[in-house]
Amino acid sequence: MKKVLTGNQAVAYGVSLARVEVISAYPITPQTTIVEYLAELCADGVLEARFITVESEHSAMASLIGASAAGARTFTATSSHGLALMHEMLHWASGARLPIVMVNVNRALGPPWNIWSDQIDSLSQRDTGWIQLYCENNQEVLDTIIQAYRIAEEVSLPVMVVLDAFFLSHTSEPVEIPEERDVERFLPPYRPKFKLDVKDPHSFYLMTPPEYFQEYRYKIQKAMERAKEVIKEVDALYASNFGRGYGVIEPYLCEDAELILITTGTVTSTSREVIRAMREEGRAVGLLKIKMFRPFPSEELKEALGGVRKVAVIDRNLSPGVGGIFAQEIRAALSEDGAPPRLFGFVTGLGGRDITPELISQAIRYSLEREEPEGRVLWLGMRGEKEVIL
Amino acid sequence: MKAPISFEKEAQMPLIPLSVEDIRWNKTGSWRYMRPRYEDKTPPCNAACPVGVDIVGMMNLVARGELERASRLLRQENPLAGVCGRACFHPCESQCNRREFDEAVAINLVERFVADYGMGGITVKPKRKTGKKVAVVGSGPAGLSCAYFLAVMGHEVVIYEALPVPGGILRVGIPPYRLPKDVVEREIKAIEGIGVKIETNCRVGEDITLEDLRKRYDALFLSPGVHKAKDLGLAGEDSEGVLSALEFLKRVNMGEEVSLGERVLVIGGGNAAIDAARSALRLGAKEVRMVCLESRDEMPAFREEVEEAEEEGILIENGWGPRRFLTRRGRVSGVEFVRCLSVFDAEGRFSPSFDETKKHRVEAEGVIVAIGEEADPSLKEVMRGISWQGDAISVSPTGATSLEGVFAGGDIASPLHNIAQAIGSGKRGAVAIDCHLRGEEAREVLKRIRVGGDGAVSMIKYLHPEERERSPYVVTFSDLNPQYFEYAERVRKIKLLPFERKEGFEEVVFGIAEEMAMREAGRCFSCGVCNECGNCYLFCPDISVLRDKGRIARKIDYDYCKGCGICFVECPRYALTLEVEER
Repeated sequence: MKKVLTGNQAVAYGVSLARVEVISAYPITPQTTIVEYLAELCADGVLEARFITVESEHSAMASLIGASAAGARTFTATSSHGLALMHEMLHWASGARLPIVMVNVNRALGPPWNIWSDQIDSLSQRDTGWIQLYCENNQEVLDTIIQAYRIAEEVSLPVMVVLDAFFLSHTSEPVEIPEERDVERFLPPYRPKFKLDVKDPHSFYLMTPPEYFQEYRYKIQKAMERAKEVIKEVDALYASNFGRGYGVIEPYLCEDAELILITTGTVTSTSREVIRAMREEGRAVGLLKIKMFRPFPSEELKEALGGVRKVAVIDRNLSPGVGGIFAQEIRAALSEDGAPPRLFGFVTGLGGRDITPELISQAIRYSLEREEPEGRVLWLGMRGEKEVIL
Repeated sequence: MKAPISFEKEAQMPLIPLSVEDIRWNKTGSWRYMRPRYEDKTPPCNAACPVGVDIVGMMNLVARGELERASRLLRQENPLAGVCGRACFHPCESQCNRREFDEAVAINLVERFVADYGMGGITVKPKRKTGKKVAVVGSGPAGLSCAYFLAVMGHEVVIYEALPVPGGILRVGIPPYRLPKDVVEREIKAIEGIGVKIETNCRVGEDITLEDLRKRYDALFLSPGVHKAKDLGLAGEDSEGVLSALEFLKRVNMGEEVSLGERVLVIGGGNAAIDAARSALRLGAKEVRMVCLESRDEMPAFREEVEEAEEEGILIENGWGPRRFLTRRGRVSGVEFVRCLSVFDAEGRFSPSFDETKKHRVEAEGVIVAIGEEADPSLKEVMRGISWQGDAISVSPTGATSLEGVFAGGDIASPLHNIAQAIGSGKRGAVAIDCHLRGEEAREVLKRIRVGGDGAVSMIKYLHPEERERSPYVVTFSDLNPQYFEYAERVRKIKLLPFERKEGFEEVVFGIAEEMAMREAGRCFSCGVCNECGNCYLFCPDISVLRDKGRIARKIDYDYCKGCGICFVECPRYALTLEVEER
């Protein structure tokens, strides 16, 4: 069945289809309507889940940690400052190896106060041990949520599904909604590997001394490494069941490309148009979308970018003192190669500023025209500037 | 106990750190330097109640809907609960800790509901007969209470009542719009129901002598009350149309026709004055005016009664002292007053001063003098051999008089004249007489069974020492953890409309419905008394709060309790005590 849904509605459909048992969330723009839709679904009995209202995102995650440890399939959604407030509990959830799934609607952190799209909130949480999957459109949002539960429950790690504020959260698109029974087949009920059980009492998460702590971190790293394969397998299985797959990265018109543009989230859709048009003009340019940020697809990128002379990265985020975070990570991954491509790191679109086809073209032209960038951080679309500035 | 487990390699370790054996061998109780224990304490309402009613116990039962148990608990301490639920001045409410949170719990209204539950048919089973006989003189609240508890203790009791009806002030003093006759009769019937005999129309000194009673009975309890009205000592006070409040109310309550004309003047500002004024209004007086010495704030009558009187149209003039009665052909026609400048002296003693130049005349066809009452002087003759202290029979702290085996209570043995105090003195008398009959030292026993150490007698403590103990410490608001309480409106009293009240002697205040009583009882903080809310159980991080089938529903597992004190802090009602561990 096809419906016209906003990204936030797609989230609610995905959560419903995943037959989540416990939801706890605290509203924050632009995530609020997700909470509202889910609360309604619970209140109406459409979704047989327990909705726990809380006084903060920290408590939302804390209650899900309890519920998940008790063996329930859980969900929450947040954004920006809400995610930042959750930070401590994010470490907790992954350290506890709980398959919690969360949606984060990418939004800037203030000040200056801003409610629009920016990836800094989720990227700031990159070291918390959460799998991070970035979505390009509302269909991908719905599909990724269903996949996320299979992935999380398989590797015992939490998953964050990320979508852009407003560009997805509040924008309506046609979305194909899979049949319930098909999703049930794809995603069986959660069978926890361990759970709090009064009939089989154990103390969980005991104080672990230096003799053992490192081994638990080793386990998480191994789980993350395995997750990469699991994510691919789950996506392939999903594609064979529902006809849609996304890959951990997705190359677009990359054959024989002299320059490959790397994007995440909704900028990818805009970039597809720009790249297609440039290809028609005869330029050897391609596009590569990164969906999976944690675990980071280093090998996949190395393979996809092998032999390419130039790479341009568009970052809708800024790690002050470094520049774009995707550029930084890609640079690190490619540095292992003998002859890594030249990387042009563009920062633009912060705080919800539009990344127009013109800006994207400008970035590509800049990169094509130069042998190397004039600086490590290339500011694109600055107010009153016609060109890239440093 | 098992040895600690160790892992050789990462692969052997479980996915998450979790215990694989129990750790009960680790008796963390040895870490403790503070020790919590369950200890019920005395709630302030309970300590303030002159009758010693276990108010909190009753509230907890009502809140849970256990109305029959609540009613039985109430009757264990008070056979006249229906009376008190209407006519008691409820000092419990003025001590209620909830006052510092929102409003006091409406204890009085809940008490009335519980007392009326089952039409007062719920009684206490008396103990085995002892074969001892006790006579009680006077069937007012003190005599009834004493007789009831003596009967509960298994003694044979006969009450001698001078009037043709039992009940004393309850029956002939308090007007039925405040205390309906059937309520009094119902409770007296219940007292008779457990074996108390009442001989009416039998006045000691006329129909039987004190000496006879002493010979025929093993012990006596004297509670004849105070039945002589004080007079002003002014000229014309004995003219036609002038009555004392005591006489007026007695005649009205006995069903006599009393007419004082269209304009009635009441002299006095106490509760009897209010009772007389409101009764006169109900008998058809067109204008009822009260004139008293005191300013509005100094009036001894209860504020609520004053307000109700004014609602009904009674006029109140403050700050005037009567100087002379005006008469016309032997009948009163009014009273002349002078301005009262102050009622009390610097030490707070009654010592009124007047401005004789400021005069005020009030015309009236009938005048009621309501300035207090005192013991009938003839009693001193009738009760020969008994020491008096001024106007009252002199009694020891146990209520014993100077005569062996003779005890006293009620208004005759106390400067405080109120129903609750009288019932309390009857309880004290019953315990002292029981001790006397068994040859035990009453003084020591009474010390042990008083609420909060020096409050009223607790019959539950006396007759049921197996019940949960309460320490004498009286819980204050600052002892509570108000985080656990929600603001909740106090139940509102519903009354007859003023114009409806004047049509007769129908009860003014309505009772409350079961749901209202339960909701109101749910407002009770249960200060100092564990009501099994389970907070300690929920909060204990060491699973050391255990259920107990004993008198206190919970106990602490000292093998594992680390003494963190969370149970103590999170207890909303101070039913736990935390002490330094003695090692």
